[in-house]
Amino acid sequence: MDEQGFLEYVQSGGQVETDDWMPDEYRQKLIKFIEMHANSELMGVLPEREWILRAPTLQRKLALTAKVQDEVGHAQLIYRVVEDLGKPREQCLADLISGTSKFHNVFHYPTRTWGDVGVIAWLVDAAAIISQKALLKCSYAPYARIMKKICWEESFHILHGRDVILTLMLGTDGQRELVQEALNRWWAPLMMFHGNPIPAENDPVVQWRIKTQGNEEARQQFLDGYVPQIWELGLTVPDPKLRRREDGVWEYTEPDWDELRSVVTGHGPMTAERLEFRRVTREETAWVRSVVLAEAA
Amino acid sequence: MSERAQRLLELADDELVLGWRNSEWTGIAPSLEEDVAFSSIAQNEIGHARALYELAAADLGTTADELAFDRQPGEYRAAPLVELRFVPDWGRTIARHYLYETADEARIAALKGSSDADVAGLAAKIDREEVYHRLHAEMWVDRLLASPDGRVRLIDATRELWPYALGILDDDLRPTWAERVRERLGVDLTNGDAIARGAHADDWTALWDEMTMVRRSVPGAQW
Repeated sequence: MDEQGFLEYVQSGGQVETDDWMPDEYRQKLIKFIEMHANSELMGVLPEREWILRAPTLQRKLALTAKVQDEVGHAQLIYRVVEDLGKPREQCLADLISGTSKFHNVFHYPTRTWGDVGVIAWLVDAAAIISQKALLKCSYAPYARIMKKICWEESFHILHGRDVILTLMLGTDGQRELVQEALNRWWAPLMMFHGNPIPAENDPVVQWRIKTQGNEEARQQFLDGYVPQIWELGLTVPDPKLRRREDGVWEYTEPDWDELRSVVTGHGPMTAERLEFRRVTREETAWVRSVVLAEAA
Repeated sequence: MSERAQRLLELADDELVLGWRNSEWTGIAPSLEEDVAFSSIAQNEIGHARALYELAAADLGTTADELAFDRQPGEYRAAPLVELRFVPDWGRTIARHYLYETADEARIAALKGSSDADVAGLAAKIDREEVYHRLHAEMWVDRLLASPDGRVRLIDATRELWPYALGILDDDLRPTWAERVRERLGVDLTNGDAIARGAHADDWTALWDEMTMVRRSVPGAQW
């Protein structure tokens, strides 16, 4: 099969296995895309991890620890897919820490209150599951297969997040304020989450059918699914232009795409601190990995 | 407070605080595989604490959450061993893990024979999960002992923690357990004075402060 034939094959819904022939460009695009996904799972652990020690009931403690554990497990699964494509995990982690590779915009922001824990589990995971569901039809079959498990687990996170938010909204004025304040801070990053609208024909990741959904389509799906729920809970979305047109399309204030670019290229409010934290904890446990490697040898 | 409630609280507080400490590794363990494993252990411990608190709460007319979060730091009965903060030191973490899990085995075995059916039943249930914790701890002890660097770290940490570990068990169970640890690690650990319950480690207040901060921010609220 030549490159053109391969392109036609994947565009018509064909799937590729690890040992199948694939064009170099496809392999490189896959690695970059899937590696960023794995990085995001791993870096997404850090903002929530800070709240594992502060969870206010035993049930919340168990749920939050289990959720963060799921994200680490996802990172492990996804890095394995990258590894099979030819990039070792150690290299991925080194590139992550050095800032050579990227991770999702939402994980570059601080978590300030327990309200953030609910907003992240509910809305950030909701935004993520929309992207991830679209990967169930990815042309690279091993990636599509693990996405089934990941989507299944993420749907529990959304339930957990929604329950945290609902409990706070049924609580005191101060607790409701906690949620609204968190939503105000998270709304802009959430609107940037699916990326700027790129026409499908200009997006190589869509052309290779690595992902099967355009950025704007994903954002519209997020708005359609979650804005009515946000309103129903008595929360205000901090965007005066937000409205659903009669044809079903959501209008909103144009997100600050410069901010998105700046954040994902390593200039977010928490980027440096979180990468440094990863670097230090990795360095301090390097001896453990040496012991395990020596044992395996 | 009844003797029964007091004993249940000691056990529950140990599991709670150790579960909290172990959960500090979630997201930053030495490998992704270990991260997932250690997080499961932390969750089991919190689960055991919850079940034990529920039993005590029925006697005391309160709830598991109130027992876990709403006491003053000085009222907790946890052994100082579980209060110590070790992240990101994996050597000390494994030393404590091994010392605690083996001591806990002796304690749980005794409780399984209790004439109190609720306590014996719960002990049996807890032991079914603790088996895996012990396997995990043993695996790490083997690994560390097999490497010159790992061995030094494990043995040094065990010596340092030994007086704390002696504080987990009562006098009747302690000698057999201590002998087992000495044999397994091949080191001479003198009996010495135990750092007993009630003498809280310095790290405890900061942990209590953090684990109760959200809950204290709106007293009496639902979370």
